[in-house]
Amino acid sequence: MPGRVRKRSPLKLPERPYIALGLEGSANKLGAGIIRHDKDGSTTVMSNVRHTYITPPGEGFLPRDTAQHHRDWALTVINDALKKAAVSLHEIDCICYTKGPGMGAPLVSVALVARTLSLLYKKPLVGVNHCVGHIEMGRQITGAQNPVVLYVSGGNTQVIAYSQQCYRIFGETLDIAVGNCLDRFARVIDLSNDPSPGYNIEQEAKKGKRLLPLPYATKGMDVSLSGILTSTEAYTTDKRFRPNGDGEDIITPQDLCFSLQETVFAMLVEITERAMAHIGSKEVLIVGGVGCNERLQEMMGIMAKERGGQVFATDERFCIDNGIMIAQAGLLSFRMGFQTPLSKSTCTQRFRTDEVHVAWRA
Amino acid sequence: MESATSRLLASAIQVSQGAEAKVFKAYLHPCEFASSSTSPSDASDGRTPILLKYRFHKHYRHPTLDTTLTKARVAGEARAIIKCLRHGVNVPGIRMVDTAQGVLGLEWIDGKSIRLLLGGGAEGEDETTEEETEDDSHEIEEEDPFDEYGISEDDAMRMIGTEIAKMHRADIVHGDLTTSNMILRHPSSAKGLQLVLIDFGLAYTSTLAEDKAVDLYVLERAFASTHPASELLVASVLKAYQEHMGKEWLPVSKRLDDVRLRGRKRSMVG
Repeated sequence: MPGRVRKRSPLKLPERPYIALGLEGSANKLGAGIIRHDKDGSTTVMSNVRHTYITPPGEGFLPRDTAQHHRDWALTVINDALKKAAVSLHEIDCICYTKGPGMGAPLVSVALVARTLSLLYKKPLVGVNHCVGHIEMGRQITGAQNPVVLYVSGGNTQVIAYSQQCYRIFGETLDIAVGNCLDRFARVIDLSNDPSPGYNIEQEAKKGKRLLPLPYATKGMDVSLSGILTSTEAYTTDKRFRPNGDGEDIITPQDLCFSLQETVFAMLVEITERAMAHIGSKEVLIVGGVGCNERLQEMMGIMAKERGGQVFATDERFCIDNGIMIAQAGLLSFRMGFQTPLSKSTCTQRFRTDEVHVAWRA
Repeated sequence: MESATSRLLASAIQVSQGAEAKVFKAYLHPCEFASSSTSPSDASDGRTPILLKYRFHKHYRHPTLDTTLTKARVAGEARAIIKCLRHGVNVPGIRMVDTAQGVLGLEWIDGKSIRLLLGGGAEGEDETTEEETEDDSHEIEEEDPFDEYGISEDDAMRMIGTEIAKMHRADIVHGDLTTSNMILRHPSSAKGLQLVLIDFGLAYTSTLAEDKAVDLYVLERAFASTHPASELLVASVLKAYQEHMGKEWLPVSKRLDDVRLRGRKRSMVG
């Protein structure tokens, strides 16, 4: 922030290296990651393993099946993470798990694994807010100091900025999340869910040429996306719609992907710009699964450049849900003395970003 | 080809820049090409300044999308202002509209924003520097900035309430009621002392008590975040608002209580 003296961080340098295991399973990705904070203040990602539950084209993931997937894979993924990091569970300082927000059943199954490990190895538990995990990992990887954060994923769409030990939400979606909007449209036009529907939309959009009129619904710093999804779907019953694309004056699935992306991303960039103007920040950090989208990164880059700032983004390893981000955010609060006692180690589907006390920042 | 609007912009001096638009001060009838202006002729002597709100091209947006949006927003803002004018709300008069270029020309208002008069500092430095503003306000309190306008702070708050009530009775919701968007017109100007509402960029028409209540709630929050210990000020705004809303006050008041409890946004699953 210009003209402001940076306050000293309340986080002391660790007196010895700390190692944390992070377990994430709030949606269809099961992740385990191990992170180390060294005495000199540096951070090392020791391992970052993920397994994704992929459904057939045209189908979404249901809570029960997703939870079953997580239960089936939990041991494999955790063992894999430990092996890659070459540490044993005895050497770990704390076990971090996602407390929320997310889908109930998958969250519960991963929390159960975390509790069991905690009891078996007598390690403290740290419950982590998923959104804060994304933000902290993004800051760690990109080195952004005090950015405006655009958090875009399958379940969340928020514009966030830090203020007085709290990540305040400046703008957000009023209905569905942007990832949800893109994924559901991918299912309408039968795109594959492998590696992710959003990735396939992005590839299709590159082939689209025609920008079709769609609603543009920004309300101050908030956006509304459900109507856009409906309108885009409506085009697939239009007389001009040709799934295979030949002839004059036609609408192809590629055009629809292109139009959908251009419209919703323009809305997201606009609300981010509003937040930047409001608080006078010049840095933007994009986190969350949709943050991998290169078109979104490009548009955000143009906006940031026009304002004399810069954009920070990460690749799929850290954008898409992963265990390492839970470990990072959990270890930061653990080093500030925070622990979740076993009796409080619950999960919650509703856990807003601004409910977390960010003790480790000035 | 250079249009009259671009020539006007080129001669203008930039005053400020927001997220969406740049604001300029310009003269509609500069001596050099007094006859070439496309806008309806102004009765003034030609040296009256006007304010230009220029929604510049956003390069990140698809050009087609950008043009459609800019056109719709300039026209929408102009419509909301015209509607206010028809219902006698104090708003800046419209001097020119160029939707293709994204320029809205408005009456220049001599005066200061309520935010400045209350000592809330300049726009863009609230939230993060709340503590610092608190320190500043002690110095400013030494002399009352409202003296220059011949009214008390409380009078100004009552004027705000009255103006918002007039606007809401016309079923216009401002959408961004902050103290920076209210200007106290200087008593020495031709129209005398007035409280003028500005920036209708987010305004829309609605008859719902809910929307009006949210509008008031946004104002309450704006007061709380920029002007510490402003509860009494807000109370006088609301009192004047109540007096001028008549029987429409009751439903809005009930809604406002609800909105205060839940906040503007509901708690969400994500």
